[in-house]
Amino acid sequence: MLLSEASFVSVDLETTGLDVRRDDIIAIALVPMDGLKIRVRHAYYTLVKPRKYRLQTMKYHGIDLESLQEAPPFEEIAQDLLARCQGILLGHCVHIDYQFLRRAFKAAGIRFERDLVDIAEVEKWIGQKTSHRPNCDELSLDALIRRYGLKEHYRHHALADAFFAAQIFQIQMTRHGIPDVHHLLNQLRNQKVCDTPFLF
Amino acid sequence: MIPPKEFLRRIKPFSFLREEHLNALTGSLDVAMYGAGEVLFSKDEVCPFVFLVFSGLVGLYDGDELVDLVSKGEIFGLLSALHRTPSYYEARALEDTICYLIDAEAFEKVYQAHSAFASFFSTFIERRFRSFARLARQEESMQDGATTVLVESLVGKAPVTCAPGNSVREAVSIMDAHGVGSVVVVEGEKPVGILTNRDMRRVLVHGSPESFVKDFMSTPVITLDRQASVLEAYTTLLRTGIDHLVVMDRDRVYGVVTSKDVLAQMEPSSSILAIYRKVLKAVDLDELKSAFHAIRVAVSEMALKGVHFYQLSQMITSVYDTVVIRVLQKHTDPHEAKNFVWIHTGSSGRKEQILTTDQDSAIICGTAGPCLDAAEAVTHSLESVGIPRCPANYMASNPRWHLSFDQWKENFRQWFLEPTPDHVRYLTVFLDMRAVYGNGQLLGRLLNAIHESVTNQAVRFLAYDAALHEPPIGIFGIKHRDRGLDLKKYGIYPIANGIRVMILANRMLSVTNTRERIEALRDAGALGKDTAGDLLEAYAFLQDLRLRQQARAVKQGRSEANLIMADQLDKMDLLVLKESLKVVASFQKNLKARYGVDRGL
Repeated sequence: MLLSEASFVSVDLETTGLDVRRDDIIAIALVPMDGLKIRVRHAYYTLVKPRKYRLQTMKYHGIDLESLQEAPPFEEIAQDLLARCQGILLGHCVHIDYQFLRRAFKAAGIRFERDLVDIAEVEKWIGQKTSHRPNCDELSLDALIRRYGLKEHYRHHALADAFFAAQIFQIQMTRHGIPDVHHLLNQLRNQKVCDTPFLF
Repeated sequence: MIPPKEFLRRIKPFSFLREEHLNALTGSLDVAMYGAGEVLFSKDEVCPFVFLVFSGLVGLYDGDELVDLVSKGEIFGLLSALHRTPSYYEARALEDTICYLIDAEAFEKVYQAHSAFASFFSTFIERRFRSFARLARQEESMQDGATTVLVESLVGKAPVTCAPGNSVREAVSIMDAHGVGSVVVVEGEKPVGILTNRDMRRVLVHGSPESFVKDFMSTPVITLDRQASVLEAYTTLLRTGIDHLVVMDRDRVYGVVTSKDVLAQMEPSSSILAIYRKVLKAVDLDELKSAFHAIRVAVSEMALKGVHFYQLSQMITSVYDTVVIRVLQKHTDPHEAKNFVWIHTGSSGRKEQILTTDQDSAIICGTAGPCLDAAEAVTHSLESVGIPRCPANYMASNPRWHLSFDQWKENFRQWFLEPTPDHVRYLTVFLDMRAVYGNGQLLGRLLNAIHESVTNQAVRFLAYDAALHEPPIGIFGIKHRDRGLDLKKYGIYPIANGIRVMILANRMLSVTNTRERIEALRDAGALGKDTAGDLLEAYAFLQDLRLRQQARAVKQGRSEANLIMADQLDKMDLLVLKESLKVVASFQKNLKARYGVDRGL
């Protein structure tokens, strides 16, 4: 399938921690793409009420407890989210977000399966093609934002991060003229870069 | 939260928008990327979006001709999108380019709802650059006040009046009863004079309390409409050197403002009036020199505060002329004054010098006149005051430009007959002649002689010269965006020179100021109303831009540069600069066609 005909959703989550089994999603940001066009108009952001709270993380995200208590639980928005997550999931170290989402959907009785594109892996793959092997530091979201000349306006907000991931992907694909989705996905299977250090 | 909104928020005119409107725009926005060479939309296609460039470079093409370049923070496709009309150009990415695409409908809604935002675009479309710049500098001009505060706000009291036939005693008791220092003398409702405390000194010596007011009042009165700005009041005070202005409400006296009232509003520009007085009272060259230096600093301050070129150049011309007159009075015999006329040429002749002043002068001697030595003494004194010599030596102290009436007449005749490059250059300088001191009739006679000896051939050569330097497309070119643009060469001179050609062809040389020339040509029907409007706007903007640039240089103690760099301009200025240069280019085309330059020389 041509890249221009595919749909992507750039996703970024805030969670209470990094342990998929123990921690909960507290915020979800989605920025959809038609082909390589970023549909800012359909960008989506919501807080999610967690089952349990870990105050330390929340301090870090700048999300206050009160808003979280008023937020809908995941089950309540699961159908809406499912409809919004059409196409390939895109993100920075999206594997981790994917696992959190899968588990949350599963708890809501929904099977959730998507192809993934991790922009850090794309960067590594492009690096191989151009014989530059980026190290782990160069693959952090901050480093990518800088490399692609995108100013950091509001970091550590899920919606901003999801948007930046989409924009980085847009530039990566346009600059390197990658036309086909399957070609891209196949190439990425060989790249495994995403470990937890990238999450922040 | 979402980065595109933050990007919009930092760009004029989006920065004028409230949160809800910004949300409406981001809520109907896509971000697209185009590889180099890709076409964004074609000619004759109705543009579905308003495009805003986030990064990269887009060329707008009419066929193969590159019409404009747009880069980061700039908008295109607006007219086609808003009016649903086919685009008159094709947009092509010249580099990898990222654009924000804003739905035409959403854009239009915001446009309708927000007047400042809308006027940004409509003034732009109608090319009213001055109101545009005012919009851009809204906050700054608020601070400055002088350009926005109306003179009526300075009037604290109802007018105190008396009749010409009243006695001075009666007038004084009226003044005392109202606690004022002046009384407006009216005939019916019409002000015919003003009697102030100062006039009492003359009453004391030459009159008595029973004298008629009309014999001692200052007359004529200088009036100003109540809707005039404080700055206008200020320039009027400067020009006339008086202390009281009568403020009018149509035909009725509305009140009186004094120079003190005006000055209180004018910090720090009040220093110019103070300096001006210093120039008038200076007894030696050192005092003139310190005043002249002070004025450059004060002018820079005002330029940076948003006072416009036209207003500043008026003030500076008054001061500069006064300095020259003071020096001339020192070096010449007052009886000689009717036998020669001291002339300013070039930009000083056009009353357009502000910060970069140098001596562009000439002299027409009548039957007698100051000798060359006297002219050299004047030039030398002016130099020590701080007005540098003209590098090309277009000065009255140069024997070539220190001529009798007949010699000048012969010069022009020859220049018109043989428009060699040198002669064209002389014409460019000496067709802007303005009398500063001495017998102005000599110049008037010379202008008549010039009008009679103009040749079509010379007009064509001058038109060719004015149209020689076409402004670069997209201003900073594709390759030379880092190199900067010479505002003088590509913007200011083509207009000033082109307008001079038309003034010459229409035999109207007694008008020297470019703005006044454009207005005169318009009123005489030689320039279309729209063209004249465009030219006035473009010229004012280019001069303002150059002035601010020079003011910044003076303030930072750098040498003055005419080059303007793209990255020193905010987006608004860049946009208007581009439009102004389009006005210049079309004016040049027009000139070439009108004077047959295209057919070759």
